[in-house]
Amino acid sequence: MAELGRAALLLSLGLVAYAVLAGAHAAFHRRRRLAVSAQNALLAAFATTLLAAVILWTALARRDFTFSYVAQHTSRRLPLGYALSAFWGGQEGSLLLWLLILTGYGALAVFLNRRQRELIAWVVPVLGGIGVFFAFMLCFISSPFGTQAAPPDGAGMVPSLQNPYMLAHPPMLYLGYVGLSIPFAFAMGALLSGRTDERWIVMTRRWTLAAWTFLGAGQLLGAHWAYVEIGWGGYYAWDPVENAAFMPWLAATAFLHSVMIQEKRGMLKVWNMVLVSLAFWLSILGTFLTRSNVVNSIHSFSQSPLGGWFLGFIAVITIFSAVLIYARLPLLRARTQLESLVSREATFLYNNLLLVAFCLTILWGVMYPVLSQAVRGETRSVSKPYYDFFLHSFGLPLLLLMGIGPLVAWRRASLRSLGRMFVIPFAVAVVTGGVLLALGYGSSAPGILAYTFCAFVATSIVLEFVRGRRATGSVVRLVARNRRRYGGYLVHVAVLLFAIGVAGSSAYQTIHEQTLAPGQSMRIAGYTLTYDRLDSVSGPNYTGFRAVLDVARGGSHIATVAPGENLYPIEGPANEASVYHDPRTLGDVFTTAQTIKGSSNIDLKVLTKPLVNLIWAAGFIFVFGALVAMWPDAVEQRRLAERYAAAAA
Amino acid sequence: MTAALVLGAILALFVVAFVARPFLREPAPSNDDLGALSEGQRARLELVEERDRAVAALRELEFDHRTGKVTDADYRTQVGPLRARVAAALKALQPGAGPGRERIARN
Amino acid sequence: MRRSPARLVIALSVAAALAVFILYTSIAGAGTPQVVPTQIHKYVGQSVTLVGTVLSTRGDAHSSAGMRFVLSDPNQKVGRVPVVYHGSVPDLYKAGRIVVLTGTMRSGQFLANSGSLSTKCPSKYSPAKQSAKT
Repeated sequence: MAELGRAALLLSLGLVAYAVLAGAHAAFHRRRRLAVSAQNALLAAFATTLLAAVILWTALARRDFTFSYVAQHTSRRLPLGYALSAFWGGQEGSLLLWLLILTGYGALAVFLNRRQRELIAWVVPVLGGIGVFFAFMLCFISSPFGTQAAPPDGAGMVPSLQNPYMLAHPPMLYLGYVGLSIPFAFAMGALLSGRTDERWIVMTRRWTLAAWTFLGAGQLLGAHWAYVEIGWGGYYAWDPVENAAFMPWLAATAFLHSVMIQEKRGMLKVWNMVLVSLAFWLSILGTFLTRSNVVNSIHSFSQSPLGGWFLGFIAVITIFSAVLIYARLPLLRARTQLESLVSREATFLYNNLLLVAFCLTILWGVMYPVLSQAVRGETRSVSKPYYDFFLHSFGLPLLLLMGIGPLVAWRRASLRSLGRMFVIPFAVAVVTGGVLLALGYGSSAPGILAYTFCAFVATSIVLEFVRGRRATGSVVRLVARNRRRYGGYLVHVAVLLFAIGVAGSSAYQTIHEQTLAPGQSMRIAGYTLTYDRLDSVSGPNYTGFRAVLDVARGGSHIATVAPGENLYPIEGPANEASVYHDPRTLGDVFTTAQTIKGSSNIDLKVLTKPLVNLIWAAGFIFVFGALVAMWPDAVEQRRLAERYAAAAA
Repeated sequence: MTAALVLGAILALFVVAFVARPFLREPAPSNDDLGALSEGQRARLELVEERDRAVAALRELEFDHRTGKVTDADYRTQVGPLRARVAAALKALQPGAGPGRERIARN
Repeated sequence: MRRSPARLVIALSVAAALAVFILYTSIAGAGTPQVVPTQIHKYVGQSVTLVGTVLSTRGDAHSSAGMRFVLSDPNQKVGRVPVVYHGSVPDLYKAGRIVVLTGTMRSGQFLANSGSLSTKCPSKYSPAKQSAKT
């Protein structure tokens, strides 16, 4: 079956190569049948890649150790779910996942928009070109279908990856990363075809939103995995691999906002082309960073042969998109201009600048070791203080803008109208800040600022819904008629909750470590944890221990936690944190424990993280808001259909 | 190994047939042009988009006024030019509008 | 038509962002040196990030004496640096793993900051071993 898998990948490579060559020829010479043939090649590439994927999944499920990949990433006792998730647990499999999602997305996007022949004719070779790179890697550099004499058992899976969140986090991230290829391909297709209209934006609007949502949700899942699995009580360490997902998300966020300006005002056309290219470029960079060991990260690994190939591909994308945008500059001339610095368009522009600035400072931080080595001959790195500084410098104004933007009218807003709109949110913010200071939360200036701004934003969003409901008669009608706007407001609510959760759990957390014998207690932030006993545990492929602790507050028992460790015979030990979710603080009491050899004493580490659960709750609201924003609107669909029919008349 | 080769060959045949399908269905078509928009249609599409933008801007202004984001004075200042813009866009789309189309496209 | 203020906005914003950036790097310093054991002798007394492969370990990181281990250059046997560490030990820590930690070299020992030890995930992206095809 490995041979069939290799054959399927070779066919995929041939098909995407055909899509590039035949597709480009067809688009340039306006050959209809050849263009359709190139589209079919893209669809067929999905089928052959899917076959390769099914073969690998089957081998993983059956623990067929004649597949080297299966032997390296699974073992006989590994539960089936994790064995299947090993598909994306290694380099070769993750590249195959990239190609699978790319060809799947590409096939769907091209099929759904096949009537836009002129544009699709150019989109196909761009998607094919991206596919050629990944298919080539899979066929000749990093194949998942290498075979060997089957060992008695496999090397197993890294214990920290044996976690339910790892079943969802990588596929979600990839659905996001790869999804950014679609708007990129359509943007380049529009430029190649010499189109000046906004149709490519209309066609890719939901794709971009979906990719952005997957990327955001994938990052949150990863953060939650890190929180429960790694055992340090944190959820984001500004690790280069984490930043590699955050950067394209920031660029995509900027793009989602500025593309609205282009649709409404016909402005920022060049900026949008640059942003969509940047978002895609960063998604490829992210894929490169996790594989090349160019930058030291707890995630990055020993030297991979892919590094050089990825660099080459990144260079090709950069040159291709830069040259194309430059060559088409005359077509991208704006029809209108910004009328006022106090307008919603202007706030979107400020928001874009902040997002891109933040993204670039993160990129600088990630690449700093490489650059310092190249320039000074010495590797230097930046860490949390650097990123925190820019998170505060750019993130806090961004937070405030989320509240200002909705209150400002399009085109031009007078100071009188601004004053009228701002007075209530401003008052609520000031009162909130005052109350928090009085309650003693002034220890963290960024924290108190964040909460004050959140109060401002929350009030402005609530007022938007209240005023909108008054104008339309019902909230349902209001949202139904303005899905993008009010779906966006819901996403902003999610960002607020996220900011409150991050501020609370980082600025106001407490940490304590202590060695405890059975019966002894530890006090932290109003909780008392008493060590009861040590229990043994066992699972399908591990044994371990749990330190059972009683959690009390004010002398009353509120919970039992049991942190400990799992020992996997093949893979080694894995810390198992135990978390009590306190509904009173919306926060957690986070515990980890290590045994001390030769005794039943434990080294207990406890963190209290107020409001941390708002971060995870924000994830649900984020997805809900995005779904509202992307929900098809029959009225709008009809209007768009009439628009393009009128144009063709 | 042999089974894999046979399956691979069958798959390749299907794939080639699917890719060649447009040529097999129409070996000698009367028109093989991709059917791109003409210059006139592209210009018209721009005008249609401008019309939609103008109508949407007017609708947004009305909504912002109803929700209190735009004062009465600001509304009176802005609504006139916007309505004129909508009217001009609609007029430019009339058959035989001529030079007006270019003016709208530039503005 | 009035000239668009967008360009002014963009130029001022870029200037402001650069000012913030330059202010930060000049005040806060430009990063922490990232070194391997063979380089550590150049950074005695300075706070650095040390990356190396664990050769041997003894002691308990939670005891007063701490955990003591020896690092060599990543994936090589050159450059031996003795390390003293207190704090949490990651699950994946063992001899042969590449670890990252911050601290200062003093008196021939690397005194690591408490809790700064992290291990790299074992290679899921290392090159696949070349195996004979059946």
